Amino acid sequence: MAKTYDYLFKLLLIGDSGVGKTSILFRFSEDAFNISFISTIGIDFKIRTIDLDGKKVKLQIWDTAGQERFRTITTAYYRGSMGIMLVYDVTNEKSFENIKNWIRNIEENASADVEKMILGNKCDLDSKRQVSKERGEQLAVEYQIKFVETSAKDSLNVEYAFYTLARDIKAKMEKKQEASNPPGARGGTHQLKANDQQRKPPSWLSRCSIL
Amino acid sequence: MDDDLPTDFQVIVVGTGMVESIVAAACSRIGKNVLHLDSSDHYGGLWASYNFDGLQKFIKEVSEDPKRQEQVYNLSEKWYIEKDVSEEAEENKTDADPAKKIWSQTKFAAEYRKFNIDMTPKLLFSRGPLVELLISSNIARYAEFRCVTRVLTWLDDRLMPVPCSRADVFATDSVSILEKRQLMKMLTAIVGNTEEEMEQEFKDWNDKPFKDYLTHKGLTPNLIHYVLFAIAGGTDKMNCRDGVKESKKFLMSLGRYGNTPFLWPMYGSGELPQCFCRLCAVFGGVYCLNRPIDKVEHKVVDEGKSIVVIESKSKTLNCDHLVIGINECPKDLISPEPTESTDISKAVFITNASIMPSEKEPLTLLRFPSLDGGDHAVTVLEVGPATGSCPKGLFVVYMITSKVTDAENDLMPYAQRIFDMNADQTETTEKPKCLWSVFYNVRDTSAPVASLVDNVHLCSGPDSGLDFDRAVEQAEQIFKKICPGEEFLPRAPDPEEIVFEDDAAPGPDFERTLEDEEEQKPEE
Repeated sequence: MAKTYDYLFKLLLIGDSGVGKTSILFRFSEDAFNISFISTIGIDFKIRTIDLDGKKVKLQIWDTAGQERFRTITTAYYRGSMGIMLVYDVTNEKSFENIKNWIRNIEENASADVEKMILGNKCDLDSKRQVSKERGEQLAVEYQIKFVETSAKDSLNVEYAFYTLARDIKAKMEKKQEASNPPGARGGTHQLKANDQQRKPPSWLSRCSIL
Repeated sequence: MDDDLPTDFQVIVVGTGMVESIVAAACSRIGKNVLHLDSSDHYGGLWASYNFDGLQKFIKEVSEDPKRQEQVYNLSEKWYIEKDVSEEAEENKTDADPAKKIWSQTKFAAEYRKFNIDMTPKLLFSRGPLVELLISSNIARYAEFRCVTRVLTWLDDRLMPVPCSRADVFATDSVSILEKRQLMKMLTAIVGNTEEEMEQEFKDWNDKPFKDYLTHKGLTPNLIHYVLFAIAGGTDKMNCRDGVKESKKFLMSLGRYGNTPFLWPMYGSGELPQCFCRLCAVFGGVYCLNRPIDKVEHKVVDEGKSIVVIESKSKTLNCDHLVIGINECPKDLISPEPTESTDISKAVFITNASIMPSEKEPLTLLRFPSLDGGDHAVTVLEVGPATGSCPKGLFVVYMITSKVTDAENDLMPYAQRIFDMNADQTETTEKPKCLWSVFYNVRDTSAPVASLVDNVHLCSGPDSGLDFDRAVEQAEQIFKKICPGEEFLPRAPDPEEIVFEDDAAPGPDFERTLEDEEEQKPEE
């Protein structure tokens, strides 16, 4: 099957329960917002292919599957991720404070050069706001990470956030490729698929013996 | 945070080892309401992989708090390198061979995250039950694998590659043309014969030694060695029935992914239980680590319905079925006492080169026949940086055998054959230098054990076998007991197949809505 994209990026959404990770994911991948959607059941990841400077970039965006609730995200979740959206809820102080803990978690488990971005979600709920935009910006400066306030409900800045993160990953990747032709540490790995030479008899039998 | 935890579940799983995790995923997948706990702060129990820091904590725990890790004993860790490298030594070395790094304990610590060291290193047969299950359930998307690039054996006091594929048999110059013909004939017969032909061929041989059969067939000593030790993974005493079964398994898995029948999970075997946990979570399973259980009680409630009640951190949790790892289970629930079995001797080495250098980074299975002619072969796995097991310039080598005296005594003679155990890193030697090692024994808790209570299901600990087949088999049996008649891990849909519409019912693959979940809670 012909590849329908130039790049495939694995992105993660991370942050406390209820900050709107799944809503952000749905806003970006389906352009939908369903207020009754309160849990992540059944959501593994979503895919959207975007166009960046003439290149087709396939974004595979993974959700936490609720494993953030008791801080039990598997190390396997972080493997191979190239970008991470750290999400807090501007109406929930605690979720903002926990961003630091999530960054520590990322540093422990994700690749050292993973691109990160902080999102202050639910910025449409101004009357309930507990975290000012300035504090979000300040935190981002502290960690030297990009920051934007988003509203999955009003579709504010969600596109912008994913495009920004993807562009940063692409730039980093192209820079790396120019600098050196790495011996492909990630090459040669297998993802097992149903059509892997399905039920083909082993090589002992597939050819007639000339011995 | 603890207060958020619901108290009623259909299935509670305690322990995140391989068997427990597969059962958790299978139950959650068909709509059971699952809580999955572990007493420790990480996934995997004795099946875990650790980075170097985590490994140091594990080692410390074994020596300082043996109760927490009561399955592990006789542990001895040893460094063969300095704490720090002097600037001078480093400079001298840089001149000599810039590619080689002089390692120190400090440098290991600095790169601790690049290590993923397995407590239970295992391989997957390319057509074995775990590979098939990962594919059929769609859990394969959470993991990546690398092919084992070669199988080695120890023959005539040196390492020898074992010809695995047909191409290998042709290419090798270690066997003669005549031998090649014999070997092909033997292997083709093992794979190609029908059940009846097999029955006919082996009816007088089944309980006799496989070695005698191979001798009877006129194989030369070299070929017998390859087939018996490397392909069948046996010993002199292996009977013919097992020998043929194991050889067939090996041969049937050839030609799917690489040159050998084996796959190794990227970042170590400890990733695999986590993949099943992820699926469980995706289908609504609730996860809680660092959650020791204090008490398990069996209760009969209204209408003779029996439930299991667990006390954990002064919270009471109820479930219809409890699935619990043998190492987490209160002893009074286990019946009968586990039978005496041979414990396992294990070792991990970190070295500065491969045991047999090759052009491309190798991934090696070495089957070491017993050096003293005894009944215990040693399985050796060597993995390099491309597997995510260690930083560049290093290799991790695992050794596993049955315990005779203790891990160090059992395995040191083998280590000395393939490593330089004392050399200075700056010297050039033929064998790779061992930079660090740990030897330990593990109690073999892999025998299936029954519980005293019908709705408490015990999961075995890791076995010393090469693959995960026993774990998969046991998990399926437990699942069938809990959910009779239900499909074991049906294929999870791909994200593209899930169509969400506002105010519409979820797609056909997701029969569970939030309301359903409420209804499924056990009646109180």
